[in-house]
Amino acid sequence: MKKINFIYTLVFIGLLSFTACSTDDLEPSLEQNKLVEGSIVDVSNLFGILKGSYDILSLTGYYGRDFIINNEVRTDNCFANGSSGRFTTEASFSYNANSGYMWDEAYRALAGANIIINTDVTKLTGDQAYGKHLQGQAYAIRALVHFDLLKSYGQQHVGGTLGVPYVKEFKGSDLYPARNTVQEVKTFIMEDLNSAFTLMDEAFYDKSKQFMSKFTAKALESRVAVYFGMWPEAKLAAEAVINSNRYKIILAGDYVASWGQDGSSNSIFELAFSSTDNQGINGLGYIYRKGTSGSYGDVQVLNEVANLYEVGDVRAGILGYEGTRLINKGKFPDLTGFDNVSVIRYEEVILNYAEALFETGGDALTQLNKITSNRGASAYTVVTKDNILNERRKELIFEGFRYDDLLRTGKSIVKFSLQQNIASTIPYGDPRMTWAIPKAEMDANSNMVQNTGY
Amino acid sequence: MKTKLNGFLTLLLALLVQVTFAQEKTVTGKVSDASGPLPGVTVLIKGTKTGSQTDFDGNFSVRANTGAVLQFSFVGMETVERTVGASNIINVTMQESAESLEEIVIMGYGSQRKTEITGSTVQVNADAIAQVPVSTVDQVLQGKVAGLVFSGNSGTPGSASDIRIRGVSSITAGNEPLYVIDGVPMNNNNVSATTAGSSLSALSSINSANIESITVLKDASATAAYGARGANGVIVITTKGGKSGKTTFNFSSSYGVSNDAIDGPTVLTGAEREELFYDALFNTYGAANGFNRAGAEAYYLSKLNIFGTSYSAWNAAGRPEANWAKVITNKDAPIQEYNLSATGGDETSSFYTSLGYFKQESTVIGSTFDRVSGALNFNKDLSSKVKFSTRNSASHTFQDGLLEASAYFSSPRAVKYFMPPVQQPYTDTGEINVLVPGTSLPNPLWIAENDIDNSKLTRIITNNSLTWETPIENLIFTTRANIDYQVYNYKNYRNRVRGDGASLKGTGWQAHSNTATYVFQNSLDYTFEINDNHKIDFKALQEFQKNRYYYLSAVGNNFADDDINNLASAGNPTGAYSEFTDWAIASYLGTVHYTAFDSKYVLDGTFRREGSSRFAPENRWGNFWSIGAAWNIYKEAFLADNSVISNLKLRASYGVTGNANIGLNQYQALLGYGTNYAGESAVVPTNFGNSDLSWETSNTLDLGMDFGLFQNRISGSFGYYQRESNDLLLNVPLSLTSSFASQTRNIGSMENKGFELEMNFSIIESEDFNFSIGGNMATTENEVTKLAKDNNGDEINITGTTQRVETGHPVYGWYMPTWAGVDPANGDELWYVEGEGSATTNNFNSAKQVWQGGSAIPKLTAGLNLHVDYKGFSIDASGYYAGGHKVYEEWHLYTQSPSRYPTQLYQGLNTLMDRWQVPGDVTRFGRMQYNAPPWQRYSKFLYDGDYLRIKDVTFGYDFNNEITDLVGFDDIRLFVRGTNLFTWVKDDLLLYDPEVSANGFTSLTTPPVKSIIFGINVKF
Repeated sequence: MKKINFIYTLVFIGLLSFTACSTDDLEPSLEQNKLVEGSIVDVSNLFGILKGSYDILSLTGYYGRDFIINNEVRTDNCFANGSSGRFTTEASFSYNANSGYMWDEAYRALAGANIIINTDVTKLTGDQAYGKHLQGQAYAIRALVHFDLLKSYGQQHVGGTLGVPYVKEFKGSDLYPARNTVQEVKTFIMEDLNSAFTLMDEAFYDKSKQFMSKFTAKALESRVAVYFGMWPEAKLAAEAVINSNRYKIILAGDYVASWGQDGSSNSIFELAFSSTDNQGINGLGYIYRKGTSGSYGDVQVLNEVANLYEVGDVRAGILGYEGTRLINKGKFPDLTGFDNVSVIRYEEVILNYAEALFETGGDALTQLNKITSNRGASAYTVVTKDNILNERRKELIFEGFRYDDLLRTGKSIVKFSLQQNIASTIPYGDPRMTWAIPKAEMDANSNMVQNTGY
Repeated sequence: MKTKLNGFLTLLLALLVQVTFAQEKTVTGKVSDASGPLPGVTVLIKGTKTGSQTDFDGNFSVRANTGAVLQFSFVGMETVERTVGASNIINVTMQESAESLEEIVIMGYGSQRKTEITGSTVQVNADAIAQVPVSTVDQVLQGKVAGLVFSGNSGTPGSASDIRIRGVSSITAGNEPLYVIDGVPMNNNNVSATTAGSSLSALSSINSANIESITVLKDASATAAYGARGANGVIVITTKGGKSGKTTFNFSSSYGVSNDAIDGPTVLTGAEREELFYDALFNTYGAANGFNRAGAEAYYLSKLNIFGTSYSAWNAAGRPEANWAKVITNKDAPIQEYNLSATGGDETSSFYTSLGYFKQESTVIGSTFDRVSGALNFNKDLSSKVKFSTRNSASHTFQDGLLEASAYFSSPRAVKYFMPPVQQPYTDTGEINVLVPGTSLPNPLWIAENDIDNSKLTRIITNNSLTWETPIENLIFTTRANIDYQVYNYKNYRNRVRGDGASLKGTGWQAHSNTATYVFQNSLDYTFEINDNHKIDFKALQEFQKNRYYYLSAVGNNFADDDINNLASAGNPTGAYSEFTDWAIASYLGTVHYTAFDSKYVLDGTFRREGSSRFAPENRWGNFWSIGAAWNIYKEAFLADNSVISNLKLRASYGVTGNANIGLNQYQALLGYGTNYAGESAVVPTNFGNSDLSWETSNTLDLGMDFGLFQNRISGSFGYYQRESNDLLLNVPLSLTSSFASQTRNIGSMENKGFELEMNFSIIESEDFNFSIGGNMATTENEVTKLAKDNNGDEINITGTTQRVETGHPVYGWYMPTWAGVDPANGDELWYVEGEGSATTNNFNSAKQVWQGGSAIPKLTAGLNLHVDYKGFSIDASGYYAGGHKVYEEWHLYTQSPSRYPTQLYQGLNTLMDRWQVPGDVTRFGRMQYNAPPWQRYSKFLYDGDYLRIKDVTFGYDFNNEITDLVGFDDIRLFVRGTNLFTWVKDDLLLYDPEVSANGFTSLTTPPVKSIIFGINVKF
């Protein structure tokens, strides 16, 4: 008996020591994450974070679908047919502060960009010139994101001066920022694009177009300058892109097919999507088309758009019919979103250039006809602002440009079709022309000022 | 082996005895109790440590001197003493002890006599749990426990449900109670890999037939032993142990059918829908295009390219009426259960073993659940001092689920309300109409046949302990090791032809996870008595729990054949995902239980120090404690002669418990590596981090009185509680400009308080006829008292489109624009600009959200039960009531808005017929319009949630002994049981099932079921 007890005692003591535990035993594993602190030691770490920011740009709420669709469905190009109930709210201008739109995705993309920008590259191992090139891309992302935010939430078309907070630090000192003015945001964007251009190096030019290159910064600068009517700046920026000789206007014969290809010669920067990395049913293809298998197909083309193109214009090949529904058949052609999404392409820069020349008294006609001559369309004989805007509409349709083009030229959203979701014309300056600051932001940040009308 | 060892020991003992004493003789005899021979009774010569035990037949043999006193003792029996006289034979009949007649309440780490409990607990015993064929055992708690609110999220068998004990204590951390099985804290959360499809509760792996009791611990005194995780209450499940003696078998079998508990809303007929559609065309286009209401059809036919051909085609086909509700219903869905168990044992060991099978079909097509389970519990006295116990269960659960978590078009429940009645389920030749035209919804018949949503859960629980009576008197040492191992498999397939996978020629997703949870416990129990009047029980316990979760899944698309749909056949494998997480909890517990003067006075003290891996090293440990006291007034001398009061106890407790029910690694600022860009891994900051994060604590005061009158013919308890939760683990919204939506912080306070009443009336008690009625009732008042503030000192609220968290109101109180009716002049829907009484507007966006005076938390819940038996016949019934809360109807935009959604794109409810048509109409719905409005949530669709449900009615018959003896059985019982036979809903406008999930929204999940089940129990 004694012996047995002795054995048990041993067993019990063993168990006791086995299970005695301290604070260290409670340290959780971290197998799929790393602590932010101390994780950036090499230039390649910056590249990982940069890809993270690009990935956020490609989400459904941003360039993956919504940012583009919202700028089409609120114009004379498209409407929401209610097939799955998506985008009817936006198409009828009935939104309120409950929807945040791209506010959260946009600011999330800035986290990585700001981490990269505020890293001292000289302290990292690896190719430091490449590190600077990556920092340049981060600056360009920061500029692009704030520009997109400003266009969506700023008061420039609703009679106010407020822009959006310009965030330059990750987990910085001011976690509850107030809104910068439109002017301030514009200045910061231009500064960032300038830094981007300076830091990026042509040696690292990316042929896939899935990453920004040096002249992407100039191309974006031309877009921003056109939006704000900064014509000399727009002209210079566009010229820089043209003179880089990196890009070409896509030829008429290749136009429709180019939408099914990635990294075409006209592409300056596009977001990467593939058969393994895409937004699937929440992507652009699924919302533009119904297909035979029952995709959403909510965003239908207004019947009047069929008359937009003259006979022979290859761009009419983008349009198609599903039954009686006029649809965007050709841009983002894959139903499940395998196609890269163009953020900026050469034709836009040419059109930006044409408009800048027109406004500054240069030879806009030559530039404008560079587009028509590559599209099987008649050449313009005279340049007017309307001709330029009309050509932009034809060229950039379904890519999310129309809404900004209407607003920056002071146009109303006109009710002209039975199909449109709006019951009557939305006059220029109507508060609904800008989104509300999201309620979640208003709840969390009392420094934030709401847009009028919300 | 066993008998050999025993024989050896007996021999050794006999030898020893022989050596020690000279003039002794062999005394033999038989020990029995009221029901027969009693094995395992300790027979000890008083004042020595020598003795024997009775064998299987109750016989014993011991050598003792004449004049020696033999002590017969057995758990639950009064100890008997006999002096050895002239006779060599001593037969003893033992009586149940008074103590054992008293109810013992299992408290998790130990058990206590009911009179000595200082806290608030409710125990549900095997009788109430048995004969309830349920897929998840928590369902039996509804209506049985005052202050426990049970909401089944879905009637799909195996689904996880929401249980809230005494309100809601946390805003963004978990509110689920802790489950303890056989003394060990367990995870019983939803294991399903899909958030879109049916949930699967880990509890569904447990066979309720193996459960001896379920105890719900509510107050701090009872839950403080679980310290950090006790704040939301504790549910203690104890499985059946073995009973020594002749092996007895128990077989039960039941079979029944189930249907939806209530039918739900009625949809429009094709003709009604068409009428509303023409109304809409007339209202929207009539004036501008110069046609009247009668001319609407002609206008439609002239613009088919815009309005679509669904009505013209329907009319051409002779207006066939489709009944989609019937198509998706699995009428009289079968439920069946079979259980076979055996229990028995000898002097030193006992066992319980069981095998069970349960199968239930869902009340919608394409969904089923089954479970095979086995258990083996075995106790063995390794020596007189060391006892070994092992409890093992294994089960395999299969759930063919549904895509039911939202209004997914492929969900049959969505089809019931969304599919136009003018489109047909079958073709003219009787085949499934695969490509239903004119709608985005696929045919549910096709989906049920070709899509897959299967979950499989294999769970093994093994609980092993050794108990050692140490050489120090009254000091008992116990060590326990428990392993809970769950293996989960999920397979999802979407067919190539129609539905969610069609655009990718079929999509597949398979997931595999395993979860292992280990618990090691060591405890010391010491009992100490000062004369007979003071008794103190000490317990010291040390526990370590570790959980490891590993998940692996892959997706692919492009399949060659819908029948061959494993991922190996995916032409385009597109993704692989993995996850590994772990957490650990270490704790040290000390309890003191003091009773004085035969339990007249009871004092309890508990202290627990607990460390959790969820917090930074410097904030990892928390201290939790409670004190409790009870005064059994009825034991006082001044009530001794009282014939009225048979029980009267006052009890009070106060303590601090905790909650750490938040995501893992929240305290760390993290980079995530789970995304990719351009075919390469990408890195994004995923976690804001907060190194200050620590325990959420709750201070609970509990006051109560237990009473019994007239020999407990009337008994009950009345209590009050107040729980203040502080340092809430709150996901405080951050400015989104920080790149994060929220940061988990310890901030904010919330209070829950209420009264609880339990009553039981035993109206008739006699040999042949018994009648009792009982019930419980509880109130809950919840209020948020403090929230985080931003740097301007402004409170940071959490506001959604229908709910808001703000101080002064219940958590997630309803908060939305108030509906002001329909303008009789023009049929506009109207809203109050700033709540009821203010000006009205027809512009939804200029109507402010205001508090609607309530939340989803029921203010009053009640349960009622009734028992009647007469000569073997019995009726048991129970009901449940919840009220004082409000419920919001989801999906009304599509089914109840006067727009294109119900009349052209989807389907509407027939309530829409009450719409405005001409000036002067006073209606619930505005004028029909040809538009697709945005989501506008407002008080029109907020209903009183009060409902009453007759949960079950069981009618049973126990055959009398004459018949059972004839066929050689011990017991035979037949029963028929009805579940959810009747439901009363206060608000006529609440058409969906009123039993909604804890968040307060109706949903398109499978509703609770109404079932009729026949069963038989045989014991032999």
